[in-house]
Amino acid sequence: MRHYELLIVVKPTLTVEELQAKLNFLKEILEKNGAVIAAKQEMGTRKLAYQIDKFERGSYTVFYFTAPTAAIAEVERLIRITEEFIRFMTVKFENQKELRFWNKQVEKLTKKSEPAPVAVAAPVAESKETSEDEIVTTEA
Amino acid sequence: MAEKRKFARKYCKYCEAKVEYVDYKDAKILRHSLSERYKIMPRRLTGNCKRHQEMVELAIKRARATAVIPYIIDTRKVVAVPFEQLQQ
Repeated sequence: MRHYELLIVVKPTLTVEELQAKLNFLKEILEKNGAVIAAKQEMGTRKLAYQIDKFERGSYTVFYFTAPTAAIAEVERLIRITEEFIRFMTVKFENQKELRFWNKQVEKLTKKSEPAPVAVAAPVAESKETSEDEIVTTEA
Repeated sequence: MAEKRKFARKYCKYCEAKVEYVDYKDAKILRHSLSERYKIMPRRLTGNCKRHQEMVELAIKRARATAVIPYIIDTRKVVAVPFEQLQQ
Protein backbone atom coordinates (compact mmCIF):
# COMPACT_ATOMS: atom_id res chain seq x y z
CA MET A 1 0.00 0.00 0.00
CA ARG A 2 1.31 3.39 -1.01
CA HIS A 3 0.06 6.90 -0.54
CA TYR A 4 -1.42 8.65 -3.53
CA GLU A 5 -3.26 11.78 -4.51
CA LEU A 6 -5.56 11.85 -7.53
CA LEU A 7 -6.73 15.10 -9.05
CA ILE A 8 -9.57 14.85 -11.52
CA VAL A 9 -11.05 17.52 -13.79
CA VAL A 10 -14.65 16.88 -14.85
CA LYS A 11 -16.57 18.53 -17.69
CA PRO A 12 -18.32 21.73 -16.61
CA THR A 13 -21.52 20.90 -18.53
CA LEU A 14 -22.75 18.31 -16.01
CA THR A 15 -25.43 19.06 -13.42
CA VAL A 16 -24.68 18.73 -9.72
CA GLU A 17 -26.27 15.26 -9.49
CA GLU A 18 -24.47 14.02 -12.58
CA LEU A 19 -21.18 15.30 -11.21
CA GLN A 20 -21.77 13.54 -7.89
CA ALA A 21 -22.70 10.35 -9.75
CA LYS A 22 -19.45 10.51 -11.70
CA LEU A 23 -17.42 11.10 -8.55
CA ASN A 24 -19.14 8.20 -6.82
CA PHE A 25 -18.40 6.07 -9.87
CA LEU A 26 -14.71 6.98 -9.52
CA LYS A 27 -14.85 6.28 -5.81
CA GLU A 28 -16.26 2.83 -6.48
CA ILE A 29 -13.54 2.10 -9.01
CA LEU A 30 -10.90 3.07 -6.46
CA GLU A 31 -12.43 0.99 -3.70
CA LYS A 32 -12.94 -1.99 -6.00
CA ASN A 33 -9.21 -1.93 -6.74
CA GLY A 34 -8.31 -2.05 -3.07
CA ALA A 35 -7.85 1.64 -2.39
CA VAL A 36 -8.72 3.18 0.97
CA ILE A 37 -9.88 6.76 0.51
CA ALA A 38 -8.66 8.99 3.31
CA ALA A 39 -10.04 12.33 2.20
CA LYS A 40 -11.83 14.09 -0.63
CA GLN A 41 -11.42 17.74 -1.52
CA GLU A 42 -13.84 19.44 -3.88
CA MET A 43 -12.26 22.55 -5.31
CA GLY A 44 -15.38 23.48 -7.29
CA THR A 45 -15.62 24.80 -10.83
CA ARG A 46 -12.69 26.95 -11.81
CA LYS A 47 -11.38 28.53 -14.95
CA LEU A 48 -8.89 26.44 -16.88
CA ALA A 49 -5.60 28.06 -17.77
CA TYR A 50 -6.11 26.96 -21.36
CA GLN A 51 -8.87 25.31 -23.36
CA ILE A 52 -9.29 21.56 -23.03
CA ASP A 53 -11.65 20.01 -25.59
CA LYS A 54 -13.09 23.52 -26.17
CA PHE A 55 -14.00 23.85 -22.49
CA GLU A 56 -13.09 27.04 -20.66
CA ARG A 57 -13.95 25.75 -17.20
CA GLY A 58 -13.69 22.49 -15.29
CA SER A 59 -14.68 21.18 -11.89
CA TYR A 60 -11.73 20.00 -9.82
CA THR A 61 -11.79 17.24 -7.22
CA VAL A 62 -8.88 15.72 -5.31
CA PHE A 63 -8.81 12.28 -3.69
CA TYR A 64 -6.25 11.31 -1.07
CA PHE A 65 -5.94 7.54 -0.70
CA THR A 66 -3.69 4.57 -0.09
CA ALA A 67 -3.66 1.79 -2.65
CA PRO A 68 -1.61 -1.15 -3.89
CA THR A 69 0.64 -0.20 -6.80
CA ALA A 70 -1.17 -2.37 -9.34
CA ALA A 71 -4.44 -0.50 -8.77
CA ILE A 72 -3.22 2.76 -10.29
CA ALA A 73 -2.81 1.43 -13.83
CA GLU A 74 -6.32 -0.03 -13.79
CA VAL A 75 -7.90 3.13 -12.36
CA GLU A 76 -6.13 5.32 -14.92
CA ARG A 77 -7.25 3.04 -17.74
CA LEU A 78 -10.89 3.46 -16.65
CA ILE A 79 -10.50 7.23 -16.26
CA ARG A 80 -9.18 7.47 -19.82
CA ILE A 81 -12.22 5.60 -21.12
CA THR A 82 -14.72 7.82 -19.30
CA GLU A 83 -15.52 10.86 -21.44
CA GLU A 84 -16.59 13.15 -18.61
CA PHE A 85 -13.10 13.23 -17.12
CA ILE A 86 -11.06 15.70 -19.14
CA ARG A 87 -7.86 15.69 -17.08
CA PHE A 88 -6.37 13.67 -14.24
CA MET A 89 -3.14 13.61 -12.28
CA THR A 90 -1.94 10.89 -9.94
CA VAL A 91 0.88 11.78 -7.58
CA LYS A 92 2.78 9.26 -5.48
CA PHE A 93 3.97 10.30 -2.00
CA GLU A 94 7.09 8.40 -0.99
CA ASN A 95 9.63 10.02 1.28
CA GLN A 96 8.96 11.32 4.77
CA LYS A 97 8.54 14.97 3.88
CA GLU A 98 6.00 14.15 1.19
CA LEU A 99 4.12 11.83 3.52
CA ARG A 100 4.02 14.51 6.17
CA PHE A 101 2.35 16.80 3.63
CA TRP A 102 -0.12 14.03 2.73
CA ASN A 103 -1.04 13.49 6.37
CA LYS A 104 -1.40 17.21 6.92
CA GLN A 105 -3.78 17.53 3.99
CA VAL A 106 -5.87 14.57 5.10
CA GLU A 107 -6.06 15.93 8.63
CA LYS A 108 -7.10 19.34 7.38
CA LEU A 109 -9.80 17.94 5.12
CA THR A 110 -11.27 15.44 7.56
CA LYS A 111 -11.51 18.18 10.16
CA LYS A 112 -13.41 20.42 7.76
CA SER A 113 -15.76 17.88 6.23
CA GLU A 114 -16.56 15.79 9.30
CA PRO A 115 -16.29 17.46 12.68
CA ALA A 116 -18.00 14.29 13.93
CA PRO A 117 -14.97 12.46 15.49
CA VAL A 118 -14.06 15.55 17.49
CA ALA A 119 -17.67 16.12 18.46
CA VAL A 120 -18.08 12.51 19.56
CA ALA A 121 -15.12 12.77 21.92
CA ALA A 122 -16.31 16.03 23.45
CA PRO A 123 -19.95 15.15 24.34
CA VAL A 124 -18.80 12.11 26.34
CA ALA A 125 -16.90 14.34 28.72
CA GLU A 126 -19.69 16.91 28.68
CA SER A 127 -22.44 14.38 29.33
CA LYS A 128 -20.61 13.15 32.41
CA GLU A 129 -20.35 16.66 33.74
CA THR A 130 -23.98 17.38 33.00
CA SER A 131 -25.10 14.18 34.68
CA GLU A 132 -23.13 15.12 37.77
CA ASP A 133 -24.72 18.56 37.66
CA GLU A 134 -28.14 16.99 37.43
CA ILE A 135 -27.44 14.83 40.42
CA VAL A 136 -26.37 17.89 42.37
CA THR A 137 -29.52 19.75 41.39
CA THR A 138 -31.76 16.83 42.29
CA GLU A 139 -30.09 16.53 45.67
CA ALA A 140 -30.49 20.21 46.28
CA MET B 1 38.39 47.47 -0.22
CA ALA B 2 35.32 45.79 -1.51
CA GLU B 3 32.57 48.02 -2.79
CA LYS B 4 29.33 48.24 -0.89
CA ARG B 5 26.68 45.86 -2.16
CA LYS B 6 24.05 47.80 -4.09
CA PHE B 7 21.32 45.15 -4.05
CA ALA B 8 20.00 42.94 -1.30
CA ARG B 9 21.55 39.50 -1.26
CA LYS B 10 19.44 36.86 -2.96
CA TYR B 11 18.12 34.07 -0.82
CA CYS B 12 15.72 31.18 -1.17
CA LYS B 13 12.23 32.36 -0.30
CA TYR B 14 11.05 28.76 0.05
CA CYS B 15 13.73 28.03 2.65
CA GLU B 16 12.67 31.12 4.55
CA ALA B 17 9.04 29.95 4.54
CA LYS B 18 10.22 26.43 5.47
CA VAL B 19 8.35 24.78 2.61
CA GLU B 20 8.68 21.01 2.81
CA TYR B 21 6.61 20.08 -0.19
CA VAL B 22 5.54 22.33 -3.06
CA ASP B 23 1.92 21.62 -3.89
CA TYR B 24 1.18 21.89 -7.61
CA LYS B 25 -2.46 22.85 -6.97
CA ASP B 26 -1.45 26.07 -5.23
CA ALA B 27 -0.64 28.58 -7.96
CA LYS B 28 0.30 31.26 -5.41
CA ILE B 29 3.42 29.40 -4.25
CA LEU B 30 4.54 28.78 -7.82
CA ARG B 31 3.99 32.37 -9.00
CA HIS B 32 7.26 33.48 -7.42
CA SER B 33 9.29 31.20 -9.71
CA LEU B 34 7.42 32.09 -12.90
CA SER B 35 8.11 34.93 -15.32
CA GLU B 36 5.44 37.29 -16.70
CA ARG B 37 4.87 34.85 -19.53
CA TYR B 38 4.71 31.91 -17.19
CA LYS B 39 8.14 30.56 -18.04
CA ILE B 40 10.12 28.91 -15.25
CA MET B 41 12.60 31.46 -13.89
CA PRO B 42 16.23 30.36 -13.56
CA ARG B 43 17.78 29.98 -10.15
CA ARG B 44 20.25 32.81 -10.76
CA LEU B 45 17.37 35.28 -10.97
CA THR B 46 15.08 34.04 -8.21
CA GLY B 47 17.76 32.98 -5.75
CA ASN B 48 16.08 29.67 -5.03
CA CYS B 49 18.23 26.91 -3.60
CA LYS B 50 18.76 23.82 -5.71
CA ARG B 51 16.60 21.57 -3.59
CA HIS B 52 13.59 23.88 -3.74
CA GLN B 53 14.13 24.75 -7.40
CA GLU B 54 13.82 21.07 -8.30
CA MET B 55 10.64 20.74 -6.25
CA VAL B 56 9.18 23.87 -7.84
CA GLU B 57 10.07 22.70 -11.36
CA LEU B 58 8.21 19.45 -10.86
CA ALA B 59 5.23 21.22 -9.33
CA ILE B 60 5.06 23.73 -12.19
CA LYS B 61 5.10 20.97 -14.78
CA ARG B 62 2.30 19.17 -12.98
CA ALA B 63 0.31 22.38 -12.62
CA ARG B 64 0.63 23.00 -16.36
CA ALA B 65 -0.62 19.52 -17.21
CA THR B 66 -3.72 20.00 -15.05
CA ALA B 67 -4.49 23.49 -16.40
CA VAL B 68 -3.85 25.23 -13.09
CA ILE B 69 -1.17 27.35 -14.79
CA PRO B 70 -0.92 28.10 -18.54
CA TYR B 71 1.93 26.63 -20.56
CA ILE B 72 2.55 29.96 -22.32
CA ILE B 73 0.98 33.36 -22.72
CA ASP B 74 1.53 34.57 -26.27
CA THR B 75 0.42 37.72 -28.08
CA ARG B 76 -2.09 35.77 -30.13
CA LYS B 77 -3.95 34.76 -27.02
CA VAL B 78 -4.00 38.28 -25.65
CA VAL B 79 -5.32 39.79 -28.90
CA ALA B 80 -7.90 37.08 -29.64
CA VAL B 81 -10.18 37.82 -26.72
CA PRO B 82 -10.97 41.53 -27.29
CA PHE B 83 -11.40 40.87 -31.02
CA GLU B 84 -14.12 38.32 -30.35
CA GLN B 85 -15.84 40.77 -28.05
CA LEU B 86 -15.79 43.41 -30.81
CA GLN B 87 -17.40 41.06 -33.29
CA GLN B 88 -20.29 40.34 -30.97
